[in-house]
Amino acid sequence: MKRQSILIVFLIVAMGACFFFQKNLGKEREIFLKENYMGYVLPSKITGPISLEFSGIVSDFLFLKVSTFLGTKFIQNEKLEEKHAKFIYDSINILTDLDPWFWDAYLLADTILTWDFRRIDLANTLLFKAREHRTTDFQVPYHIGFNYFYFLKDNANGAKYLLEAARLPKAPSYLSALATRLSMYQNQYAPAILFLNDILKTTQSSELKKQLETRLETLFIMDSLEKEVHEFKKRFGSFPDHLSDLVDKGLVESIPDDPYGGKFVLLENKRVYTTSKMIYK
Amino acid sequence: MMIRKLLALAILTYKEGVRDRALFGIGLFSLFMMTGSILVVSMFMRELHKVTVDINLSAITFAGLLLSFFVSINLMSKDIDRHTIYSVLSKPFSRSQYVWGKYLGIMLLIITAMGMLTICSSIAIWFTKFQYLVYFQGFSWIEFYKAVYAELLMFFMLNALIVFFSTITTSSFITLLFSISTYIAGQTIEEVVLFLKTKHAADMALSKGITTIIDVVQYILPNLSVFDLKTQSAHAITISWNYLAAITCYSGAYSIVLLIMASLIFNRRELK
Repeated sequence: MKRQSILIVFLIVAMGACFFFQKNLGKEREIFLKENYMGYVLPSKITGPISLEFSGIVSDFLFLKVSTFLGTKFIQNEKLEEKHAKFIYDSINILTDLDPWFWDAYLLADTILTWDFRRIDLANTLLFKAREHRTTDFQVPYHIGFNYFYFLKDNANGAKYLLEAARLPKAPSYLSALATRLSMYQNQYAPAILFLNDILKTTQSSELKKQLETRLETLFIMDSLEKEVHEFKKRFGSFPDHLSDLVDKGLVESIPDDPYGGKFVLLENKRVYTTSKMIYK
Repeated sequence: MMIRKLLALAILTYKEGVRDRALFGIGLFSLFMMTGSILVVSMFMRELHKVTVDINLSAITFAGLLLSFFVSINLMSKDIDRHTIYSVLSKPFSRSQYVWGKYLGIMLLIITAMGMLTICSSIAIWFTKFQYLVYFQGFSWIEFYKAVYAELLMFFMLNALIVFFSTITTSSFITLLFSISTYIAGQTIEEVVLFLKTKHAADMALSKGITTIIDVVQYILPNLSVFDLKTQSAHAITISWNYLAAITCYSGAYSIVLLIMASLIFNRRELK
């Protein structure tokens, strides 16, 4: 009986020690991973055969790995570097080799590579791969069209792919109108707001949702400030020199804070932008 | 009369298999994976139906593989290892009937296990669908069950292979080794053959001997990847009934060939 009690005491102490060491190991591991960044993924020539008939679940696992990696970066407000863009592109390229219909993966890559890295080339490469497999999905040409239009300022290709999307089943009715009136929207934030709103509506992941909401909020502010800049011109005959002129003339109460920690500025071409470039400062 | 004998042996094998404790472990593991799928899907963005189907179909397949590699091999080799085969063969059974009866019993066990796991999977999917109805627009029950059926066909073939290897080897470990190797080769042979047809392979200038060997081997080895419809099912891509009929015939014909060969070898085998 006494021996058993001693054993139980030892067990409790050992469990406490185990918890303590594990917690400490977690911190050490975090430092270790930060210092030893391994941004490589096994090519699909290897992952394909070794996943045997479990390529679907392996692609889910790889996707979870990429989204957890990004989620951690977002939560800790860490700056994303160019090497991360390559890691994301490679990972998504490989996991879509395993499951070429995996839309979540294509969409995650598109959202991050375009907005955070401005690597439209990489995002479009993956989207064109999606287009080969998801032949009846309007979302694929819709996103390609948006990238051409918004990021590459290529209205001709933007309209071409938006029209392609409009012809596919379940495409929203506004798509064809958007495609034909594309030139009107040039240099405006409205389509980006519309586009991000669409993604937000269908997103389930809370981390990505938070990220999109911040981006959307910033775009809303820039859009409303730009409208006031045009209102300024209408009233006073010329564009303001600085955003603070809008406050001086009573068009806005104050210039809102940038959710990313930067500052809103009026560019020489009279467009409103932010010094944070929508990346956390 | 012959059918009655086969059935008696099949039921005996089935009952023996059901008593195996490994079966509970495999069942528990699969159930754990299926319930886990309900929790895991919340970490994904939109295609929750894809992830749910992926996990559930993988759990069913994995359970079937464990069952085939451990329980089936054990059922085949136990009689010889423990010398209980003499008491079976002393009854009015031919050796061929023994082989076919064993195979039928193993398949009965696999069908029961897969049936039960499919019911559990269906409940897990239904529950996840009920929770995230919006994210299940691209889901199809028919395609899900088609993928389960295709997996079952794969197990028909794999277990015929196990029975075949059991008749030519003297140790269950060698049977396990042969079966796992053939399974891996069967899952990848198609990829190798397809690669050989690409331009990249042509540039590599492989020797004629190697290409001839692969050409021959592709007809000898079972092409098990044709039964993998999990990805298509996860995206609710329609699989034609013609395709299902084709893989059914392939699985049936290949299994029959293996079982006839196993019977012939077992008839001549000297049991010590």
